[in-house]
Amino acid sequence: MPSVEVAHLTKSFHRGTPALEDITFRYEGARAVGYLGPNGAGKTTTLKLLVGLLRPTSGRALLNGREATANRKEALWDVGALIETPEPYPTQSVREALETVGRIRGLSREGTHAELVRLHQELRLPRMGRRCGGLSKGQRQRVVLAAALIGDPSVLLLDEPTSGLDPAERILVRGLLTRLKKDHLILLVSHQVVDVAEICDDLIFLDRGHILLKDSVEKVSARTRSRQLDVEFLCAVPPGALSALGSDVGGVVPLSDRRYRLTFDGSDAVRGRILEGCQRLGPVGQFSNATSALEEAYLDVVVSGSAK
Amino acid sequence: MQTGTERAPTVSHGHGAARRFFDTFRGHPTLQPPTPPGAPMPRKPARVRTSELRQWYVVLSSQASHYFRTNRFLGLLGFVVAISCLTLAFEFQVGPAVVRQVQLGKVSEYLSNFITYTGLWIILAAAFFGGDALSVDFSTGTGYYMLVLPVHRRTLLAGRYASATIATLAIVLVYFAFAILGASYFFGLGAVPWHRVGLALGLAVIYTLAAVSVAFCISAFLRSPSAGVLATILSLYVGFTTLQATVELARYEPWWSLTYAGNAMAAALDTDFVHLTSIPVGSGQYTTQWMATTGEGAAIMTGYLLVFFVLSLYLYSRKEATG
Repeated sequence: MPSVEVAHLTKSFHRGTPALEDITFRYEGARAVGYLGPNGAGKTTTLKLLVGLLRPTSGRALLNGREATANRKEALWDVGALIETPEPYPTQSVREALETVGRIRGLSREGTHAELVRLHQELRLPRMGRRCGGLSKGQRQRVVLAAALIGDPSVLLLDEPTSGLDPAERILVRGLLTRLKKDHLILLVSHQVVDVAEICDDLIFLDRGHILLKDSVEKVSARTRSRQLDVEFLCAVPPGALSALGSDVGGVVPLSDRRYRLTFDGSDAVRGRILEGCQRLGPVGQFSNATSALEEAYLDVVVSGSAK
Repeated sequence: MQTGTERAPTVSHGHGAARRFFDTFRGHPTLQPPTPPGAPMPRKPARVRTSELRQWYVVLSSQASHYFRTNRFLGLLGFVVAISCLTLAFEFQVGPAVVRQVQLGKVSEYLSNFITYTGLWIILAAAFFGGDALSVDFSTGTGYYMLVLPVHRRTLLAGRYASATIATLAIVLVYFAFAILGASYFFGLGAVPWHRVGLALGLAVIYTLAAVSVAFCISAFLRSPSAGVLATILSLYVGFTTLQATVELARYEPWWSLTYAGNAMAAALDTDFVHLTSIPVGSGQYTTQWMATTGEGAAIMTGYLLVFFVLSLYLYSRKEATG
């Protein structure tokens, strides 16, 4: 069964403050885990420690029960990783770059070709004969994602896999990862809360090298109430008219002459009263949360630090 | 989902067939995911635990294919060919009689003089292919592509070392070919001392291995690829040559110098080989000029090869991707 485990993991660089301090988590079996936090939180450092690109100052980082710093071949045998911005040799073709990975992962020549066909379809890779040096950012990102997936490793460590992709390509990759999580363990680092909300089952919020919150997406979303609403009237409503909503509304930001963003305390009772009030002002075409529950949770936990 | 313009994917077993097959792909007009959500994933591909030797070969062939297409390789090869052609053109111009007279009528003298520059080409090639072979993993995205794979760093290093050696030897072989071409023209093919040429080539192989070892060690130590290339050229060529000349003035044998050992390549072809020459400088004083013997040169080169290879292996295995 695929597993990712870090136990009391600490990493310090030179004499600075620790990039990671006493991090502990363990996941086993098929699932997707979102690893969220602001820049410099220590997300990529954790992935680097797992694959052995860095050595821990103390603690252990294990993939499928093995430490990459002790035996990287065994630890990484069933692991696909996309960390930072990998670059295949610019002189090599897409086919050559991926064949190298496939052969190192123990695929036969025929098996590698079969995998290239599969990944070419799954990720809409550029033409296999093209030089890697001539690829666009989005094309290269899909190629390096294919490199992580070739051979179908059971553990996937993905650092911003949709970075540089256009919206359609992001949807494509999200769909693929959503299917992969059924029989793979995915640790997904992303700033795209939409991606995490759609793909992940569990969440870890990290900031300044410490875990702030660790729970399932479901529980985090249920706990978090959106405090901003977007209201769209079917006809123009002057901003002054919204004062009729009274003290339930903390703030009003006009987005157009018919659309407004309202701030409130997030409770269901007040939400209901605001809706009723809006309907009295004019016909309401749309009434929805301005931010997703996960975005609110991120802001709550990481920006406000409420988990502390 | 297949569109009307795409062919159904099949697995081609022959390499050429696979290449033709893949080259038929020309982008995809639809953005619909090929496998709808909820559809079962394809069967897991069969993988076998690859031996380190097998992985070494994969790294070697991948790296070599990269080296042979770089501007560095093509530029250096072009430069060596151009210099060799110019040399031969000049010699053709002055004529065989003059060339034979200048070379004391000896084919070995001609070959020895031609081969003298092999050391320079080896140092340049070793710096170009080895000077940044390891530092690229820690200063560019190459490391994030290769170092996350299930392969030991020692295997990666050994594969790259072998390919850098092959790329360097390709340059050396071209230069030797020009030397033999000239010797055959001016002295006749039958006059070429093949056993001595073979000995010089053997020493060139060991010298290449040693120079690439030094370049790899510098590359494992430094973080900047361009600094690694420059430091290799400066230390092997400028540094050793200058120190060697200074020590010789003081009448000591520069037995510790790799470039001194490299002289054995040309010495192997010289029938009038002299290990130590004393050169009077007046007032009863003299300075010395040393030439490494074949055995001595081979021993020094082997020492460099082993020490710097082990050192680069240690440094590369310990290095962290902190960037």
